[in-house]
Amino acid sequence: MPQNRTHTSPETQSATELRLGDVWRVVVLNDPVNLMSYVVLVFKKVFAFDESTARKHMLEVHELGRSVVWSGLREKAEAYVFTLQQWHLTAVLEPDEAQAH
Amino acid sequence: MKRKRIEVKLALPVVAPLLDVIKEMADGLGQQLAAPLAVADLDAEFHDAWVGELVGAQSADVQRLLALFDDEFFRDGVVAFDEDNAECILRACAAIRLRLREHHLKSVADETLETGEVDMMALEEPKRRAFMCYLFLATVQELIIQHLDASILDS
Repeated sequence: MPQNRTHTSPETQSATELRLGDVWRVVVLNDPVNLMSYVVLVFKKVFAFDESTARKHMLEVHELGRSVVWSGLREKAEAYVFTLQQWHLTAVLEPDEAQAH
Repeated sequence: MKRKRIEVKLALPVVAPLLDVIKEMADGLGQQLAAPLAVADLDAEFHDAWVGELVGAQSADVQRLLALFDDEFFRDGVVAFDEDNAECILRACAAIRLRLREHHLKSVADETLETGEVDMMALEEPKRRAFMCYLFLATVQELIIQHLDASILDS
């Protein structure tokens, strides 16, 4: 699992707190290699999606090239990205402008 | 409760030549991630820690995959999957397939790769063997997902 951010220096602390307090999206990007059934399984495993939700996100990735699979606090979003990377899915983080404070 | 386990009998003359390719890809992965980290704004220390952990996990998964093809396999041609190794093998197959794509199948169009509609006879060695390997690992993944899906989700 990702390490916790325990070594933040005081001068960067307020900026980090702001960033950690914002809402972030976990976005999975398409790749031509991973099987559709594999991506569905990973979504079910990582996000506890039911079959139809997992398939909906998989098809978004496949057809649109990306799908927002989760949004929330930065630290948890990072943990999800890390887990998706363990399963060899490419994921990025994006600030969720619509839900910014 | 009895644990679910599937045993698959493979055709040794077909699979054995593919194992060299799998081993070569596994060695090539080394300290690299099969799917490079795409998160842009991680600080350097955090990024390095992630990559270190991910590479370690990837390497352990790949070793589990390679361990399937031991002396017993070369005697009986059988590999077994259960809830203990299913996740590792699934991930290892994904890693090796991504590596195959990067190193041997770069010239195959994304769409062709996704549909799998490749004219094998039109491919030259070593690309043909690489593609057979790519398909073989996909078949392993499909078998595991088909039969051990519930075990993976419950674990």
